[in-house]
Amino acid sequence: MPLLGFIFRRVLQTIPTIAFILVVTFILVRLLPGDPASAMLGDRAIDADVQRINAKLGLDQPIPVQFLYFTKAVFTGDLGNSIGLKLPVIELIAHRLPVTLMLTGMAALIALLVAVPLSFVAALNRGGAPDAIIRGTFQIGLSMPVFYVGLVLLTVFAAKLRWFPVGGYGQNFLDDLYHLFLPATTLALSLSAVLMRNLRAAIIGVVGADYVDFARAKGLRARVIMTRHVLRNALISTVTLFGLSIGTLLGGAVITETVFAIPGAGRLMIEAIYGRDYPVIQGLTIALALLVSFTFLLTDIVQAWLDPRVAR
Amino acid sequence: MNMLVKAALSAALLVGTSYSALAVERGGTLKYGRYADSLFLDPVLNDANVDIWVLSNLYDTLIQPTDDGKGLKPGLATEWKVADDGLSVTLTLRDGIKFSDGSPITPADVQWSLKRAADPKKGIWNFLVGSIQDVTTAGDHTVIIKLKNTDPAILAALTVFNTAILPMKAFEASQGTTDEEKAKSFSAHPISSGPFVLQSWDHGQSMKLTRNENYWAKGEDGKPLPYLDGIDFEVIPDDATRILKLQSGEIDGAEFIPYARVDELKQADGIDMKLYPSTRVEYITMNVRPKIGDKDNPLSNEKVRQAMNYATNKEAIIQVVTHGVGSQMTSFMSSATPLHKGDKPLYAYDLDKAKQLMKDAGFESGFQTSLLVLAGNQDEIGIATALQQMWGQIGIKLDLQQVDNPSRTQQYRDGTFTMREAAWTDDIADPNEIASYFVYSPTIGALHSGWKSDEADKLFEASQKETDVAKRTDQYAKMQDIYNSSGPIVPLYETPYPVALSKKVQGFVQIPLGNNIFGAAWLEK
Repeated sequence: MPLLGFIFRRVLQTIPTIAFILVVTFILVRLLPGDPASAMLGDRAIDADVQRINAKLGLDQPIPVQFLYFTKAVFTGDLGNSIGLKLPVIELIAHRLPVTLMLTGMAALIALLVAVPLSFVAALNRGGAPDAIIRGTFQIGLSMPVFYVGLVLLTVFAAKLRWFPVGGYGQNFLDDLYHLFLPATTLALSLSAVLMRNLRAAIIGVVGADYVDFARAKGLRARVIMTRHVLRNALISTVTLFGLSIGTLLGGAVITETVFAIPGAGRLMIEAIYGRDYPVIQGLTIALALLVSFTFLLTDIVQAWLDPRVAR
Repeated sequence: MNMLVKAALSAALLVGTSYSALAVERGGTLKYGRYADSLFLDPVLNDANVDIWVLSNLYDTLIQPTDDGKGLKPGLATEWKVADDGLSVTLTLRDGIKFSDGSPITPADVQWSLKRAADPKKGIWNFLVGSIQDVTTAGDHTVIIKLKNTDPAILAALTVFNTAILPMKAFEASQGTTDEEKAKSFSAHPISSGPFVLQSWDHGQSMKLTRNENYWAKGEDGKPLPYLDGIDFEVIPDDATRILKLQSGEIDGAEFIPYARVDELKQADGIDMKLYPSTRVEYITMNVRPKIGDKDNPLSNEKVRQAMNYATNKEAIIQVVTHGVGSQMTSFMSSATPLHKGDKPLYAYDLDKAKQLMKDAGFESGFQTSLLVLAGNQDEIGIATALQQMWGQIGIKLDLQQVDNPSRTQQYRDGTFTMREAAWTDDIADPNEIASYFVYSPTIGALHSGWKSDEADKLFEASQKETDVAKRTDQYAKMQDIYNSSGPIVPLYETPYPVALSKKVQGFVQIPLGNNIFGAAWLEK
């Protein structure tokens, strides 16, 4: 089966990618000016305290030695303890990453639910009023910064109309969905604009193709032509774009999580970088790199399924 | 209106007033929006304001600071007496005090807690109680602190978070072998001596405190404090979101309101915009070493520093950056700091004088220098651009270098920075902390500036042992004169703590040292 072999090859390719990211992150965070003890103790720190803490963290060792210890620990599943929060990194990731996954997952879903039908409406009415309205609206959405859209949505739908809570995170699954709706919509807005532009163009291209004319000539029903011939072929490039956008979505989550007071992995990463919390930065990078690699893998698999030539 | 009616009305009014003052209401949970979460709630091992400013709600100290942050009032101790030779303090513990688990707070707990706070190997705050030589107990209620030398700040130090009392046995029985490991496991399920107990903590999101049923203090209604059933701290890093949450009624209070929003919130319905007096000062630190790297440094010239001070229009900066909320500094230490001296703003704006001083210093045509600014921090960027324009008028070309905090701290600690913006808040109701960092060169080289005054160093050393209040006041007056006239800073402004509360919130206070005191807070139903 070519698809299974393809998946196996792709998984193998992921391993060196992760290893490379790991080494680069490990070295880069240590090359940044400032060290965890100074970042933690702030301006008032006296030399003795800074040295004592850095020595306790093993940061007085040469970088290659630190890397050996780190690699050994990673292979035993130990990502160390957060320097600032004094909690195991694995626990922090287990706590924060699902929040970000849910946020980005919801955003991706909303983006798809909005982009797919609207791009059909726009493409099939090319040049008409619906096309102009849809494209115009999304152009505005695309050009507004995430934090601004977030604040506008919060002010109108949460503070004024009271339909949603003003940020924060829920107590159970349904409550989480309710809390995440506005932030996910904020995140989804720019992604859906990008997806819609791409899908619209693809549909326009496919609708005019010979095999669609042929399908019509065979007398197939419009709905069958649309789902089986037009959508499937138009989706190929959009799936790639969607997969690649997951990285961007995770980046956008950092800002959205701050504006909406969501305790996710994005905010944890920012705080860790400001605090030079090396173990958290490293642990989160591994987790996010795995996540993005997995998304790319899924994207490739879906693409191979849509277009079997890819797997060959 | 005849006299009788007037008298009756006045009496009714009086009764009404006194009634409302007494009518505290019990119960309810106060939701408070914080800009950042706490990190490590151990009184001794913490190192950040996010911990310090809430710790007193969990752990009580022997003596408490008064609401103005300058005085003392009884805490777990009802009485204290400094010996005539100034070399010991005898404290009497309150009758019947208990931890939140119902176990008694004993002199042994106090002895252990104070020794832990003074241990130079533990945490970064031990210098505040560095004079403690030993702590002993006598009977069921007495604790004696023996001092290495006389220490005029010892009583103030006993109000500070790091001298809070923890249960020795429960702490020592916590999981772990080292003190830090034990502190970690203890602080996950702590036993309180303060008005509240930690109920749950979802790091980065929320922290819930419930009332300590065994707390000793009594409320205005004669029943035990606190009035509240609990406090929910919610972490909302974005300023605008924190305010929106308050306006929508989802939270009852929000800290760190941006200065730009203060006026608007003062007018808002249902919101009580508080500006609590603080010890916070904002200033520019200058590196005064003759050379930075291999380059000559004009900032080493005292006249140049004075010129830059005179060329700084502080009132304009206060208007632009703090929207009028701040006020001019009258000494390097805030006016809320004990022994502060000064009644008029330092270096009133005088461009002619500044130009003359530059000429006298031999820098009539100016020079080029740089300032480290915290990237993305609107207040700092505002100050920096204002200074760029103001100092441009005396020929100084100022390069602004935006960096993140750890990068800035690195340059600061290495002494390779040229200038940086900074802020300071006292942790103790005594001037010795700020003076040791700003003035006394052995601590951190006078803010890592390379500035040193032998006279000021001697004054500080003497003041650390001086128990005569008048003499110590005089020492501090001299220290402030020296530093204010030749020191390595450009004082900018002092600001209060801007906190927005729902009008339902009563009795809450943030003292000048920053501590958020919820012990006597209550919610109007």
